[in-house]
Amino acid sequence: MPLAEAERGRVPAPAAAAKAERLWFCVYLPNLPLEACGPGDKDLAVIEEQQGVHRVLLAGDHASAAGVLPGQSPNAALALLPTLKLEERSVIREQQVLELLATWLEQFSSFICIAGPDVLLLEIAGSLRLFGGLQSLRRQIAAGLEAQGFEAALAIAPTPLAATWLARGRRRACIREPANVMTALRNLPLSCLDWPPTVLESLAGMGITDIGDCLRLPREGFARRFGVQRLLQLDRALGRLPDPRNSWRAPERFCADFEMTEEQSDRELLLAICHELLQAHEQFLLARQLGTQRLLFTFFHLKAKATSLPLGGARADRAADHWYELLRLRFEKLVLPEPVIAIRLRGGTTQALHGASGRLAFHGRAPREHYYSMSQLAERLAARIGNESVHGVNAVADHRPQYAWSTRDLFAARAADALTRVRQGAERPLWLLREPELLSTDNGHPLHQGKLRFVSGPERLETGWWDEHGIARDYYTAVSPRGAGLWVFRNRDRQRGGASAWYLHGIFG
Amino acid sequence: MPRNSDTSSLEKLLENPRVWRARSQPGPAQGLSSGYAQLDRLLPGGGWPRQALTEILIEQYGIGELQLLMPALASLCAEDRGAESVEPGWIAWVAPPFQPYPPALQKCGINLARMLIVRPRNDSEVLWSAEQALSSGTCAAVLLWPQGLDDQGSRRLQLAAEKGGSWAIAFRPLSARHEPSAAALRLELSASHRGKRLAILKSRGGRPAVLHNVV
Repeated sequence: MPLAEAERGRVPAPAAAAKAERLWFCVYLPNLPLEACGPGDKDLAVIEEQQGVHRVLLAGDHASAAGVLPGQSPNAALALLPTLKLEERSVIREQQVLELLATWLEQFSSFICIAGPDVLLLEIAGSLRLFGGLQSLRRQIAAGLEAQGFEAALAIAPTPLAATWLARGRRRACIREPANVMTALRNLPLSCLDWPPTVLESLAGMGITDIGDCLRLPREGFARRFGVQRLLQLDRALGRLPDPRNSWRAPERFCADFEMTEEQSDRELLLAICHELLQAHEQFLLARQLGTQRLLFTFFHLKAKATSLPLGGARADRAADHWYELLRLRFEKLVLPEPVIAIRLRGGTTQALHGASGRLAFHGRAPREHYYSMSQLAERLAARIGNESVHGVNAVADHRPQYAWSTRDLFAARAADALTRVRQGAERPLWLLREPELLSTDNGHPLHQGKLRFVSGPERLETGWWDEHGIARDYYTAVSPRGAGLWVFRNRDRQRGGASAWYLHGIFG
Repeated sequence: MPRNSDTSSLEKLLENPRVWRARSQPGPAQGLSSGYAQLDRLLPGGGWPRQALTEILIEQYGIGELQLLMPALASLCAEDRGAESVEPGWIAWVAPPFQPYPPALQKCGINLARMLIVRPRNDSEVLWSAEQALSSGTCAAVLLWPQGLDDQGSRRLQLAAEKGGSWAIAFRPLSARHEPSAAALRLELSASHRGKRLAILKSRGGRPAVLHNVV
């Protein structure tokens, strides 16, 4: 941002946007290179290549106690502590860990930004009420970070840069008033700023070691000698200029890996790891108010092809326990060709998931949870098994049994009001055969599992001259020797004459 | 840590078998009246187990297997569920062996506007459809006629029924009698020239019994 020549010399008036009060919470992770290598390994040291030579960058607790210091060569460090494990620094892995942490922090604020390789910023002015005030929020975040094994320096200030610098200076600062920023920053050494060493050296040569000294320099000269950007940074940190930030958004699809140090075939252990992944997945979805219907677990082996285990649910869900239950059912039958070296969990397409209000248990009848409407259910069913296979039924005012009903389209908008109520007298079976089934006869008497015994009848149903599907039938209710109630009829077909055929048309289910 | 010791003493108190917690105890009127007083007397809760799987084993169709359910199904359709639910209870029929006949259903008091018929092509789709219908929360009852149903399948149905608060009824052949099942209630219905016999094979919270000529 170029600053007009004339304005460079003047102290800018506080930004008008300061009205919408903001408060920045900075999480600074000084030991991230070490912590990114995995939790709890105290015999570890991270080495980094500096100007072609490997040097120790950070050392774990045991290593530090043994005298391993940053800047030592790996050989010197190994001489001090033979059991030392050396690990090459991986910036990519640190970035991944930082993003995971940002995802976790999303539960505290909707505005997170990754402000550097080891700095996370949260805008918390909007979260204070929900989390019970500043101290309580700070406590919750600090406890969460500690539980995850991170050593973090925290600071709170009205501008993002001030918060960052205070955290880097390890000041447990908590400044709410913009007017107090100046006081807090004044004594902060310049090494807390991420300015290049050459700039810091030349400033130190002038006897300038903290921010207060910097601010006393003439603005124009400072900008000329050390760059407009540095002056801008100071103004932004003090809230004299606006400092807009971009909110970081995690990817909408969850994907996480768990890599093991050695191959594992203990299924209980693998399940426990899957549960851990599912919990991370739940956190991820919870922050977005989303759920998913599909998950994919992939188990990697050293030699064999990876085994994948897709999971699908009837409705979108995010609860780790629910998915774990499904996973256990499927995992029982899963055949793993080899021990597993890594597990990956990938979330499916997400959909909005709205929480339901709970109820007190005082009501006599527990309320039924309503997940989705009938039309949604019908759609889901039809989508998989075909439109014609999902329907409703309706009664039709027709005396001929096969025309006394029809299917009802559940998808039509006006299906609900097209229902007929038919008055009827005689008994009808609950099951109707689509096509009447010809029965064999014995001397003109119908047979079905043996000789039928008639219970009632005949009920004569005739004609249909208006649509050429006329019938002439005598219906009887009969019982088979094995006790089944049947609805049979005799066709009174005049043209054929003689012994008329018997048919089975319904079953009294 | 005074707080911790407080909660642990509370837990200790709750572990005492003499402490009765209203919340964890299902009310006595939990069952859905079957409409047959004889049967209701033998079922725990005085009726069909709601939100659970019921299995009815039959050797043939036409022995009153649907008639047995009709009074309960009719009461589900008619039940006034108030503002708690958006739609009243639907009754899903998954893979029925014949056509459920609307005139007869209407006579039994079934609301035809709440009938859903699903005809899946194979057994895995039957199970899937029934699970969907059960867990949707829209269906008060789901009737299904699977070709085969293993232990895991019945467990899935039982879970789905609990989740959606729905009553699952699976019709199975007599041969399934010796297969394990997660159903809360298993009945065997058979008929001969002497009459009909209804046996309660398994009843969660109840005991086996035999009834004659219920339907």
